[in-house]
Amino acid sequence: MADTSLLQGLPASALRSAAPLLLVLLGECLTQRVGRINLGVEGQMLVGAVAGYGVTALSGEPWLGMAAGAAAAALLSAVYALLTVAARADQFASGLAVWMLGLGASAYAGSGLVGLRIEGFAVGAAGLTPTLWLAVALVPLVALWLYGTRTGLAWRAVGESPGAARAAGITPWRVIVAGIAAGGLLSGLGGAALSIDHTRSWAEGMTAGRGLTAVGLVIVARWNPWLTLPAALLFGLAEALSLRLQAGGSAVPAHLLHTLPYIASLAVFAVTCARLEGGGGPAALRAVFAR
Amino acid sequence: MNGTQLQRAGLAIAAFAALAGGFFGLIGRGPLEMLQAIVMAAAGSRYAVGESLLRATPILLCALATLVPARLGLVSVGAEGQLYFGALVGTGALLLAPAPSLQLPVVLLGGLVGGAVWALLPALLRVVADVNETISTLMLNYVASLLVTWLVYGPWKSPQSQGWPASIEFPDSARLPLLGDSRVHAGLLVALVMGIVLHLLFTRSRWGLVLDVLRSNPRLAPLAGLSIARQVLLTMAIGGALAGLAGIAETASVQGRLQAAFANGAGLSGFLVAWLAGSRVLPAMALALLVGGLLAAGDGLQMMTSVPSSAVLVVQGLMFVALLGAGGWRSEVARG
Amino acid sequence: MHLQLVGLSKRFGNVPAVDDATLEIRPGEVLALLGENGAGKSTLMKLLYGVHTPDAGRIEIDGQARSIPSPCRAMALGLGMVFQQFSLVPALSVRENLALAQPSAPWWIGRRASRLSALDAHVQTLAPGIDPDARVDQLPVGQMQLVELAKVLLRDARCVIFDEPSAVLTPSEAARLWALIRGLTARGLAVVLISHKLADVRACADRVAVMRAGHVVAQAPAHDASDAQIVEWMVGRTPPTVRAPRVRPAGAAIRLELRGVSAGSARGVDLAVRAGEVLGVAGVSGSGQTELAEAIAGALPLTAGEVILDGHRLRAPHLAAGPTPQLAYIAPEPLRNAVAPDLSLALNLALKRIRDLPFMPSRAQLAERAAPLIARFGVRPADPQARAGQLSGGNLQKLVAARELADARAAVVACYPTMGLDVSATAQVYEALFGLARSGSAVLWISEDLDDLLQHAHRIAVMFDGRVIALFDAAAATSAGVGACMAGRPEAVAA
Repeated sequence: MADTSLLQGLPASALRSAAPLLLVLLGECLTQRVGRINLGVEGQMLVGAVAGYGVTALSGEPWLGMAAGAAAAALLSAVYALLTVAARADQFASGLAVWMLGLGASAYAGSGLVGLRIEGFAVGAAGLTPTLWLAVALVPLVALWLYGTRTGLAWRAVGESPGAARAAGITPWRVIVAGIAAGGLLSGLGGAALSIDHTRSWAEGMTAGRGLTAVGLVIVARWNPWLTLPAALLFGLAEALSLRLQAGGSAVPAHLLHTLPYIASLAVFAVTCARLEGGGGPAALRAVFAR
Repeated sequence: MNGTQLQRAGLAIAAFAALAGGFFGLIGRGPLEMLQAIVMAAAGSRYAVGESLLRATPILLCALATLVPARLGLVSVGAEGQLYFGALVGTGALLLAPAPSLQLPVVLLGGLVGGAVWALLPALLRVVADVNETISTLMLNYVASLLVTWLVYGPWKSPQSQGWPASIEFPDSARLPLLGDSRVHAGLLVALVMGIVLHLLFTRSRWGLVLDVLRSNPRLAPLAGLSIARQVLLTMAIGGALAGLAGIAETASVQGRLQAAFANGAGLSGFLVAWLAGSRVLPAMALALLVGGLLAAGDGLQMMTSVPSSAVLVVQGLMFVALLGAGGWRSEVARG
Repeated sequence: MHLQLVGLSKRFGNVPAVDDATLEIRPGEVLALLGENGAGKSTLMKLLYGVHTPDAGRIEIDGQARSIPSPCRAMALGLGMVFQQFSLVPALSVRENLALAQPSAPWWIGRRASRLSALDAHVQTLAPGIDPDARVDQLPVGQMQLVELAKVLLRDARCVIFDEPSAVLTPSEAARLWALIRGLTARGLAVVLISHKLADVRACADRVAVMRAGHVVAQAPAHDASDAQIVEWMVGRTPPTVRAPRVRPAGAAIRLELRGVSAGSARGVDLAVRAGEVLGVAGVSGSGQTELAEAIAGALPLTAGEVILDGHRLRAPHLAAGPTPQLAYIAPEPLRNAVAPDLSLALNLALKRIRDLPFMPSRAQLAERAAPLIARFGVRPADPQARAGQLSGGNLQKLVAARELADARAAVVACYPTMGLDVSATAQVYEALFGLARSGSAVLWISEDLDDLLQHAHRIAVMFDGRVIALFDAAAATSAGVGACMAGRPEAVAA
């Protein structure tokens, strides 16, 4: 009996958990495809969450909240772009500084919002909401764009070899900034989806490492937008199971289950690092990893 | 400091002043008023100074934990995970520990060993499979934190802690001695002394030269008869032990019990402090104390000005962004 | 397309790379632009191609002055450049690389993209049999260069600049390239061939221009200029002669022996070098020479075989590699492989002794030991505390030579020791190297310059595809014979 109640509605629950992560994952995938690793997505996601939540609470329009979240996170990602592209600061340190700034800014902005409840999106069929459809629809769009269009080719070229891209008449820094901004927009959407749709609340630091998970899961997805869907589902499943176990007071430790995505990311990364220099992936990124 | 370093510092301070001033303006406060309030809250009384030092201690230890591997050229963000695992092992040691007279050394040893072990995991991955240490330490941070949460909510949950799960209280025999009549514990002294020792080793000893050579060009290892693997393991283990000490000190002496998610961003701040100090010990120590003071000022600031305490988190973030940007821009200009 | 470069100048920091250079490029003609390394040939062409902007001077195309701020603009004007380090994206396919370069490529380039078949046909005309879906990094180097050329011609270039194209080619691939180039000029294109090899000039140039120290010192029809004249233009004086090593005494003891050594792409290498002998190793880059050198030096573990020095086993598959004071190793690309750029000259010179230093070493003492070495090998700047990373290529190599060659060694392994150096630095390195040979060391010398090998080595081994496929006595070797072996087709093998 415990088993069936555990599994009942699990797919929907997993999907709901996966949706915010999928959005961030797509965003960071694009950013890494142009050769930048942005650890600040955690902060961007938080800023997106607080902005989305706040605007939804003020206006009553969840889609407006989503847009606000995307814009806020894009703004924060601009800081990362300024640091790494204009000031040529180190990618890891810049990402962490942006994370820190996002953490602080979201805590500050959200200090008046704690405890408010909002309506959020209307729940549709099978307990699924529009943000999930948005996230899932973006997967093929991004993938087809990356692999099948000329601009996608240009982005891939910049991520592999900025010098060669330049020789082909592309301006690498523009593409890199665009890639960072795309990551910003998507991570903002992910954060807003988290606060508006998934939990319908705001709490300081509520993303609980999802942004950093995304950075790891991009590696699991082999930088391929198609594979972000199964990667995000892995996380969603782990989280959904974990919540059910916690609620049911089960013997299997929920928090241990929660470590699964991190361990999986590390395992995949370790195995590919052993086989390929820098763990595979776009060459410009490999240069950052394989120092 | 030479000319370029002064310029860089000046530029950084100017950038920070502009950003912080902008933020204060945005929330409708005068920059001078806020600055004064922060300084008062950080150092305006003996109590305030004590709190600032208390907050600075784990940040300093985590900065050192980042710095030691950085001298070899490794970029480890794992201080927070090592902090958690050190606290975990130290607490475990307490639960197993025998006589009260042995408790403190056992607990401290547990912290050091726990932190070192958690650092040796990514170190081994790097040595054996060339796994980038930044990614591996990042992932392991969350694993360590979740392990602590699991233990605190589960097997190690104290029956006395009702609403907020935590382990049993640390008895006095397991706590570090305090300095004076403040809450500041001897961990600060250990951190400062270790810092000086490391500084001397890095700048004057043969080991420091070995690290410099390998950081500058790892390909020289076979030529010079050096082992990169050995140095990776050594530097990560030392760094991990320091972070583990921060974890167990915080658990035993400040909070008095093991709780979930107690690190409060010390690892993150520590990393950025070490980075901005250019992996040099003395500037890192100064910066860690500064940041500790800033963060400790949050509650006092809220009391004095009714600005939410999270404002200092924003100021910290702006500070690091300004420092990073100024440093990067200055190098960019120097490159021509 | 008729190009006039008038009075162009460009400096990087304090160094004038191009100094008031004037050059004429005519359509239907191959212009060979010669000069030593560092003379400014590449920089001048990069000014033309928009990679850099000139500080002074002007560029006229068909009589009209043009400003070329970027390669994009240069390509739009009809200029094309085939770089030495190719500008292809290795992880993308041939077709994708070409699509990237074509401004009129369609927006949709995924499967079933119709207009891409024209690209496929285009590349086939230059490199028949090439697979358009193949990843560029899977292609042999010669084919990569042809894809690069295809990329350039896609944009209707009317002037094509080749930057040191034959450096990576076997002699037969180079011959194919010259034929292709003559085909281009027959169609009325202007071609500029940047090189530092006279052989390239004789192969296909109509006119010759020589640069020295950033200045164009001469422009003349190729058949009007003799080799000696060209060399004098390049160097500005009669080149210093290097003392050829003494004829090796037969029956001298074998000092360095390689038995069945396999490491990296090198396989089953058997070589023996006697005291006082200079054994040259020739081969197209990537034939395993670098790995062989690294294996002997201890930087790369052996997968099979052993290295024996003066009768003692130095390297073997499971032997722990320790530092070897008796072996000198001149690594290729010194900045990358042989020095610590952030550290001082004194520290770099003490690198091999670092484990023997005291616990708290004295910087003053290190500087004291370094000063005479720096003076003896003429390293500039002569300051023991200067950062090694600031040194020019020639001075870096002299620093490495000071560290490795100052004392007598049993054997020396020198891997591309003079690549990128100008004539005087080259002479100094050869002096040190062959000086050690004269005093009884065994010298294993890997070089990209066949002419130098023929001139200075006692014997020449040729590596191809990881194996030693020929061993010549230098006296009996010819450029053609060695070249054929480098391409993997030994016509004659002489012991």
